[in-house]
Amino acid sequence: MSTLSTMWTCHWAGRRIQRYLDADPAAPLTAQEAHRLHRHLATCAKCASAAEDFRGLRRALATWSQHRTPDPQLAARVRDTARQLIAEDAG
Amino acid sequence: MTGGRRPGHGEDVGSHRTPEGRRHDVGKEATKPPGFPTVTPGLNDAATTNQAARTRAFAQHVEPEIDVLLRVARTLTGSWADAEDLVQDTLIRAYRGLESFDGAHPRAWLLTILRNTNINSHRRQRPDLLDADDSPERHTPAFGATSTPSPEQTVTDRELGEDLQRAVAALDPKFSTVLLLVDVDDLTYSEVADVLGIAVGTVTSRLSRARKRLRHDLNANARRSS
Repeated sequence: MSTLSTMWTCHWAGRRIQRYLDADPAAPLTAQEAHRLHRHLATCAKCASAAEDFRGLRRALATWSQHRTPDPQLAARVRDTARQLIAEDAG
Repeated sequence: MTGGRRPGHGEDVGSHRTPEGRRHDVGKEATKPPGFPTVTPGLNDAATTNQAARTRAFAQHVEPEIDVLLRVARTLTGSWADAEDLVQDTLIRAYRGLESFDGAHPRAWLLTILRNTNINSHRRQRPDLLDADDSPERHTPAFGATSTPSPEQTVTDRELGEDLQRAVAALDPKFSTVLLLVDVDDLTYSEVADVLGIAVGTVTSRLSRARKRLRHDLNANARRSS
């Protein structure tokens, strides 16, 4: 593959790696795109390294969620107030 | 509850996007909401039946989402106290808007209400919702900083990785908010679009640029350290 062609494929892959990793229903890759991306990642160290970095980043940020879970007392208070609102509405 | 705003009756509970990204106008459906049965006018117990249906619909559609709403509100406001106020007001609006809710995609519906509630509030808005600049680098001092971090939070942040924490804090809040909503709060692109009032394409674009910036900064830090 020529250098220009490789650069173009890397550019193409770079625009899709995150969507591939996220697999979000609002922005899916087509089967053809996913297949082409797989093939590219298997042969391009630079893009494979980027994919691995993005995976690691997502894993690291996912651990933050454990520290951003609402205090059960806070959640209970919100629920209680909501129920009180309903009771007042019924009364 | 630490604050005291109450949205009035008849306020817009909004249109929202479905998880597929379609706009969805609340209250304009030809069909009746499945979670909210029709009450035949003229029956003596109509009001009681209506109340029971509303209570049931609230328990079914709204209560299961309270934890998610709190997490998202925490990301938007930067503090649990403000998050509590915002969610409380959101729940009030949701309760009042239940009759026009079609029973589909409750989270998307609630996130839209949360966004409208946040916009309409007189609370200090974080600049990520207002800033038109499109650079991922931070240029406003507002990331997660509506209150001074407690010593406990600071320790926690250190445990989570100072470099990553610093890199996220260096992002423009407009970009870090999308990043946190997707990668920490675990919302889908469409849910983020709902809660921020932006297109799904804008979500993917901001997310991509935020992550690329983080990767660049973290790799640069690693090179400097080695």
